[in-house]
Amino acid sequence: MNTRRRQSLVANPNACTGCRTCEAVCSLIKNGAISPDMARIRIERRPFEGEFVQGICHQCSIPYCLNACPVEAIGISEKIGTVLIDKDICDGCGQCEAACPYGVIVMDTEDEKACKCDLCNGKPQCVKSCPMNALGLVVFGNEVTR
Amino acid sequence: MKGKSGGWADKILRIDVSNRRKEVIPTVIYSGKYLGGLGIAAGIAWDEIRPETGAFDADNKLIFATGPLTGTLAPGSGRMEIVGKSPRTFPDEIVTRSGMGGHWGVELKRAGYDAVILQGEADSTLYVYIDGDNIEFHDAKEIWGKDTYVTQKRLKDKHGDHVQVVCIGPAGENRSRIATIVSETSFTSGKSGFGAVMGAKKVKAIVVNGSGGQIRVARPGRLVNLAAHYRELLGYNPMREWTVGYSPPDYHQRFYKKYRKGNASCFGCTLQCFAFIKVPELDPAQVHCINYYYMKPAYDFYGETLEGDQAVWQSVVLSNKLGLCTFEMAGFIPWLKDLSDNGLLDEKSSGLPLTKFGSREFIETLLENITYRKGIGDVLAEGAPRAAEMLPDAWSLYEKYYPAHGQTEHNSVRDYPAIALLWALDSRDPMIDHHAYRHLAVSRQRWPEPHGLAPEAAQAVSEKIFGTRTAIDHGTYAEKAKAVAYCQNRSAVINSLVLCDFLFPIFVSQSREDRMGDTAAESRLLSAVTGTDIDEETLNGVGERIWNVLRAIMVREGRTKQKDTLHPTNFQRTDTKEEASQHSVAIIAASHTQPIDRDEFETAKAEYYDIRGWDPETGRATRDTLEKLDLKDIADQLNG
Repeated sequence: MNTRRRQSLVANPNACTGCRTCEAVCSLIKNGAISPDMARIRIERRPFEGEFVQGICHQCSIPYCLNACPVEAIGISEKIGTVLIDKDICDGCGQCEAACPYGVIVMDTEDEKACKCDLCNGKPQCVKSCPMNALGLVVFGNEVTR
Repeated sequence: MKGKSGGWADKILRIDVSNRRKEVIPTVIYSGKYLGGLGIAAGIAWDEIRPETGAFDADNKLIFATGPLTGTLAPGSGRMEIVGKSPRTFPDEIVTRSGMGGHWGVELKRAGYDAVILQGEADSTLYVYIDGDNIEFHDAKEIWGKDTYVTQKRLKDKHGDHVQVVCIGPAGENRSRIATIVSETSFTSGKSGFGAVMGAKKVKAIVVNGSGGQIRVARPGRLVNLAAHYRELLGYNPMREWTVGYSPPDYHQRFYKKYRKGNASCFGCTLQCFAFIKVPELDPAQVHCINYYYMKPAYDFYGETLEGDQAVWQSVVLSNKLGLCTFEMAGFIPWLKDLSDNGLLDEKSSGLPLTKFGSREFIETLLENITYRKGIGDVLAEGAPRAAEMLPDAWSLYEKYYPAHGQTEHNSVRDYPAIALLWALDSRDPMIDHHAYRHLAVSRQRWPEPHGLAPEAAQAVSEKIFGTRTAIDHGTYAEKAKAVAYCQNRSAVINSLVLCDFLFPIFVSQSREDRMGDTAAESRLLSAVTGTDIDEETLNGVGERIWNVLRAIMVREGRTKQKDTLHPTNFQRTDTKEEASQHSVAIIAASHTQPIDRDEFETAKAEYYDIRGWDPETGRATRDTLEKLDLKDIADQLNG
């Protein structure tokens, strides 16, 4: 048992307009090209209902991805409590992707390894870029984690 | 030093539906001279669309073109441009353009193509599916005849929710000259009748799957920073509020307060100008300014009741489902009312419930009769000017609502000299490309704080951009030609990148004390994306080149100096104030009651030709002008 200072994205789907700026900036920063498939944030667009819903990594208190990983490639950063994947250890089995209830683990098409939201080291670019202020960053207090 | 490159997908896809073949052309053939979007489409149209080709001929091409900034992080990069021989232009079918927002163009680039050239005529109805190298032609039997919403839902059921679709409704199938191409609930390509061109080719839809594809950016870090900077500079554009009820009259605001669920937007937009509306018992959809064309008649008929609101909303949704242009309807509604009031139209012969003008029954009958070409609808489906020629005495009232080229009034040409020139010199309603000028010279000066612009601040901006304060003085035709040429060049650049003209050029910034914008934004964003530095002046030169190619196409199709004009009534008619305001159909009421002074107008036109380097007698670009713009081949063909 130890304590963890947790931070996480929060999303307001009522404000989202489905413009996908967050996906663009995320994939550009993390992968060097714009590719919504590779973004660590997902926008589900339902244009005929006017519903646009953000799929964000919640940096779970008890991370499903971390628990699913058979090779212990997923850990929690000490600095800001983010759930991180160590690409050197990851063997690309995809079990974390299958385990994530929010569908925000993506498999990198180039090296075939898993990747996820790392909160841009505490300064998430998606939050900064959202024209509707539909995304935010919350800092929780210390949490007890396993 | 040559670094990473980015921007273009490097391929143009040609789809010939006659023989169900595809061909891939390297984008670089056109992009070097013409950037992308409107520019490359103009280059292709010059090479491939002959003057004698009719809009509905198999030889006509419909070019769907994105640009190097499409789908990048540049604000407002969700748009694309469609170019082809238009059935809607008047008096002749000529090549023109029509923009379209949304997400389809971005998906196309992710699928690996900068543009699609759609050509030929299928032997039976079909739709095209594009997924990288895989191009499929599918039978459209099950969706032909269906509205645009049903069509898209069926195609998404089949190919996946993530695909993007452009399609036509029954109006396009029936070759209505006022048919649109539609994506999602209300991203539409209107005014140029391109829906009917798709219909003539028997193409119901183009479905694109760009999954896994990417858009390359040469300098990602630079682009992220620039995009953030320009989002901040653009600030909170009041257009977002306008579509949620910012503009007068008050009943717009009440409607939105009751029914707005949120906003919707094109890809990568900082503005988010569509309101998303849900009215009981009707389809929900996004809506834009011109879509309220039926609001006043409906409220006059019902009052602000649920029934009235439903009539308003049905007029919007049914237009988009059937694939009819709401801008055309914005002209039809007051014109048909005027014809009816003057005894030139009656219920029996028209088949329209004219005594119930303003009712839901009236608008439903009108839209359906046009779509299915029943009764007078068959004539109206030809578009306003052609209908005015066919209906007895209808032309006598027609010109009040259509200033030039047969297109619906969009900002009064009589109120604003520069806008009159823009209209006269274009192939279609130009104002959809010139919101920046209009906002600086007109709209922002009327908006309340905090979005308003004091006249002195507007004049200072005008001086900085056009070198003169007179460029936005509506009392005179002096100093307008230069501003008009500048705005046209910039619009050619914006439509080629492709960015949204609601955001660019950034003439005015709401986030700056002095309200000064930054007209170098496009060149800086382009440099970051492509990795090749280009400055503002060079980009303006590219815009000038593109404008001259568009002009060369018009000249080849018979455009002359005499045709660079407005309908005659604008130079003759004197109105009362009340009449003037009635004639304006597009949100901003006209106030100018006097006719345009023809001498002043012609003098400004001559100044414009001089600035352009066009022959003062013929309005054709001189050989020297074209050669300076690196268009020697066009000079040879045009003059040789």
